[in-house]
Amino acid sequence: MIAYAVSRLLQAIPILFLVSLFAFGMIYLIPGDAATVMGGPEASAADLERIRENMGLNEPFLQQIVSFYVNLLQGDLGQSLMLGTPVLDAIIDRTPITLGISLYSLAVTIVFGLLTGIVAALNHNKLLDQAATLFALIGISLPNFWLALVMIVVFSVHLGWLPTGGYVPFSESPMGWLRTTTMPALALALLQAGLLTRITRSTMLEVLSQDYIRTARAKGLTEWQVIGQHALANVMMPVVTVLGLILSVLLSGSIVIEAIFGIPGLGALMGNAILSRDFPLVQGGLISIACSLLLLNIVVDVLYFWLDPRVRIKGGD
Amino acid sequence: MAGGIHTDIPDDETGRLGRFLAALRPFTRSLSFVVGAVLFGFVVLVTLLGPFLTDVSPSALSMRNRFQPPSWDHWLGTDNLGRDMLARVIYGAQLSLMIGTSVVLLNAVFGVMLGALAGFYSRLDNILMRVADALMAFPAVLLAIGIAAALGPSSMTAIIALSVVYIPRTARVVRSSVLVVKQLDFVLAARAAGATDLRIILKHILPNSMAPMLVQLSFVFAYSVLSEAVLSFLGLGAPPTVPSWGILISEGRAYMREAAWLTVVPGVAIAVTALGLNLLGDGLRDVLDPRMKVAEA
Amino acid sequence: MMKTRKARLALLSTAVAGLMSAVGSVSAQETFECPKVGGDLIVAVESGIPTLDQHTTSAGATRNIAMNIYESLITRDADMSPVLDLATDMDVSDDGLRYTFHLREGVTFHNGKPLTSADVAASFARYKEIGGNRSNLDIVETWETPDDNTFVLVLKQPQATFIENLSTYTVPIVIMPAEEAAKGVGEVDIIGTGPFKLVEFVPDSHVLLERFDDYVASDVQPGLSGFGGHKQACVDTVRFRMITETGARMAALETGEVHIATSVPATSKPRLEALDDVTLVSRLQGVSMGYPNFSRSPTDNLLVRQAMAAAINAEDIIFAASDGEYELEGALQYPSQAYYSTAGLEYYNQNDPDKASALLEEAGYDGEPVILLATQQFQWSYNAALVMNEQLKVAGFNSEVSVLDWPTALATSQNADGAWNFFFTVWTSTVQQGGPIALRNFADPNNVFTPPNNEGPAEFNAIFDRVENGATLEERIAAFGEGQEYAFENVLGITFGILRATEGLRPNVRGYKSFTNVQASNIWLDD
Repeated sequence: MIAYAVSRLLQAIPILFLVSLFAFGMIYLIPGDAATVMGGPEASAADLERIRENMGLNEPFLQQIVSFYVNLLQGDLGQSLMLGTPVLDAIIDRTPITLGISLYSLAVTIVFGLLTGIVAALNHNKLLDQAATLFALIGISLPNFWLALVMIVVFSVHLGWLPTGGYVPFSESPMGWLRTTTMPALALALLQAGLLTRITRSTMLEVLSQDYIRTARAKGLTEWQVIGQHALANVMMPVVTVLGLILSVLLSGSIVIEAIFGIPGLGALMGNAILSRDFPLVQGGLISIACSLLLLNIVVDVLYFWLDPRVRIKGGD
Repeated sequence: MAGGIHTDIPDDETGRLGRFLAALRPFTRSLSFVVGAVLFGFVVLVTLLGPFLTDVSPSALSMRNRFQPPSWDHWLGTDNLGRDMLARVIYGAQLSLMIGTSVVLLNAVFGVMLGALAGFYSRLDNILMRVADALMAFPAVLLAIGIAAALGPSSMTAIIALSVVYIPRTARVVRSSVLVVKQLDFVLAARAAGATDLRIILKHILPNSMAPMLVQLSFVFAYSVLSEAVLSFLGLGAPPTVPSWGILISEGRAYMREAAWLTVVPGVAIAVTALGLNLLGDGLRDVLDPRMKVAEA
Repeated sequence: MMKTRKARLALLSTAVAGLMSAVGSVSAQETFECPKVGGDLIVAVESGIPTLDQHTTSAGATRNIAMNIYESLITRDADMSPVLDLATDMDVSDDGLRYTFHLREGVTFHNGKPLTSADVAASFARYKEIGGNRSNLDIVETWETPDDNTFVLVLKQPQATFIENLSTYTVPIVIMPAEEAAKGVGEVDIIGTGPFKLVEFVPDSHVLLERFDDYVASDVQPGLSGFGGHKQACVDTVRFRMITETGARMAALETGEVHIATSVPATSKPRLEALDDVTLVSRLQGVSMGYPNFSRSPTDNLLVRQAMAAAINAEDIIFAASDGEYELEGALQYPSQAYYSTAGLEYYNQNDPDKASALLEEAGYDGEPVILLATQQFQWSYNAALVMNEQLKVAGFNSEVSVLDWPTALATSQNADGAWNFFFTVWTSTVQQGGPIALRNFADPNNVFTPPNNEGPAEFNAIFDRVENGATLEERIAAFGEGQEYAFENVLGITFGILRATEGLRPNVRGYKSFTNVQASNIWLDD
């Protein structure tokens, strides 16, 4: 297993290099720049030029690439133009917030997705199956930012159950955190739950047709004993492999969801950074996020490899 | 089933049309496929018939007619500048379908080509898959808005950005299928008979990889419609002078209390389209190979 | 430029007298005291705050916060007149070259350090380096700090409008400790002398301010007036929450989650007015207008530009731009302002497509595209562009709307070669601070309409010179009228109307004065 882990890490290096190259290159195609945003709508051209100079945006291209990689290898992701703080600090500050909401969302997703997927598989081709599948599909098909807007109107304005937005840190008030993160977590969970339902259902179907399940049933175990003892473990594995995918989708979704609910998380940071043309922050953010997801996938793959001997033979994909 | 479609051909329907209809029959057994086809078909129909359903221009302003709720004069009401929502939603449908189709076509060409090459030539495989992995390391929407922000808002930008995001995923799906198919007997036989690589790929491998490809493409279409909505919602997609559904939601969100229909209608339109496509894809998969693994996002 | 020494002296003494009388009036009225102390004020603002480094940005979003933390030597009051703030008095030498300020006694910064003239000098030095409107200091030769409490500005030559320029608030010359002033753009710790100090700043979430207990208030005016006056922090803390989602911001106001909400949209007004526990206050926000590109065909042609102005139905445009929250006024000053003039208003809101078509024909217009540049982020830009587009088409223009995001749109509009013929904007602080500042954007070197070689019409620049340097106020006002007339006749810009801004308050918010930026001072909360 160690050998596998090492080989995956080594394989990741060229990918990481490409990732950093993409992040760097993408930025320099952008027309417009951060100076215009910092200056506000009534800034004059002369003021903007001075801001640009002070921010070092006028250096030659080659010099910028070289300093970029030199800094990157030292772990320095640069200074955010709009925040005035190091990019890495900003990302580290924001990540727990998004992580908290993501975990909340993930919990809802897993509970809901697994349950509906299992129920669907057990009632294959019957009404419950159709209903569960339809629910999953609706989840994947609804635009989640639209759902978020609708939720605010329904739950905050008309029912008054939850606040319209904002964020209360858990350390400040667990109840406040729960109240401010529930709608965002639900909006994000919808998409994930749908995916998980489908995958759970199809994996479950596959597992249920296996011999050892028939044997267990023949032995006279109740349906739930059959599932609990035999099927569940096997169902968990594809779920684990999908974890990386789910987190990636969660991060994508949080860009808009955090903006709508006014949550100062990583998604909102990236969204604002892109709209403000905050070059260092966008680069640093893209690289951090991509690397984290890559590493997570490697961890998941290694886990999967360790748990399932069949993968070793097939070679994985 | 590795991808072939087995059908019963009745004795008295051996003509081309007959065989075509007969080939369709298994699809009708899948509820998903039928419902999906109906939903998506409805959207396509409305899009094509659009100019006949309403002769009002989607950009015709009327300051006197603002915020009309749905009525006989305006089936879907009017917005804050008095523009007819039905016309705007229909034109939005045209845009979404145009962008979705373009992205799917680009995927069909480049995604398939790259996937086939990667599956067939193991030396290319390494390089291509590293690049694909690198691109897929970025969360989809994040990459799309990054590219869209770089290139500036336009329909073309949305198409390019979404293609860059989904082509690696499509390529992977095709590659997996090609990896399996190229080991099959008839391919090895063709090789032994001296057929060129190109011929093998085009005549033998691709036709037998159609199933996962079709399913993947229908999902790509669905994601394109949804992602394009996010892009234009953020102001990074089609220019607002063309009423994309995402822009309709973005324009309507300030008035959610006073004129809820402005946001509800485009949201439902997106959902129906995406749902139809997802159901189609599911149905295709059920019919062609229920155990098929496709890239989900 | 013929100015007699006597005239200059007359002008300066008028200005000084004006300021001195403001000082003198304090003894006549009672200075403000907080009727109630305590509570946490929560304000919902509609935009993200790019930075709190006030020297470097003209963003209103920054001023909303920063002007509660910082103070300037001299600023503007509720009537937009210059008023001394950190300075208690000002002496102008006979030759008009030396401005001597004495600083308020006992003032300390938020970090406990006492304010001295060295800090003022350092702040001015920083502003001259990187300040947004540092060109205002071009006329300054040097400054002196004869003692800890005295700061002297020495001009190269006398300037009639120097005090007006020095007191502008678009990018105010706020005073920070010398150690901070030594730092570069965006690197300063936000430490000022104002009634509130910064506790926490999360750029796209919130800003938290706290009462500064050792604050020493100005005695120039009895109560809060604009950015100046006798400021008192009645509440314990102020939290500015960024709620960009309009629906969410209004909902927060309705549920009482926030005490004050800025930017209430017109469409929400009827519903909110009907509520018992929401009060709405309204004020003039700015002039919604646009300007053409003199360097790009066909707007380089005077007749084409005049055709454009003729085709415009300003009322429809301003209605759409403001969702109904507007005043139909076409001048470059508000009617209540001293420089207000109706000269040239015959070119405003002509709504005459036939005249426009005739002018186009006379100009030999051959259907060349006219690009209206706007951004979707701001209603006054986007909606105005859409409506104007339709109006121009009716008159026979081949017009189209180009929608870019704000940074790109702004950058494009500042480039004479950019793909634009007309750009939409709002002049807020530009208009509010008086005639000369309003017209400055049309004069060289600012000339927003990007003329070839960056040289605007010589005739206009000559008029503007008289606006800036006219010996008496009457002369300057008259010149302003001429300038406005020239601007409209030659279409240096086209105005649509005045936008109104509305804020919403909860019933327990007392003492709130609607002003161009949020002032948290002298507000107290009832239970």
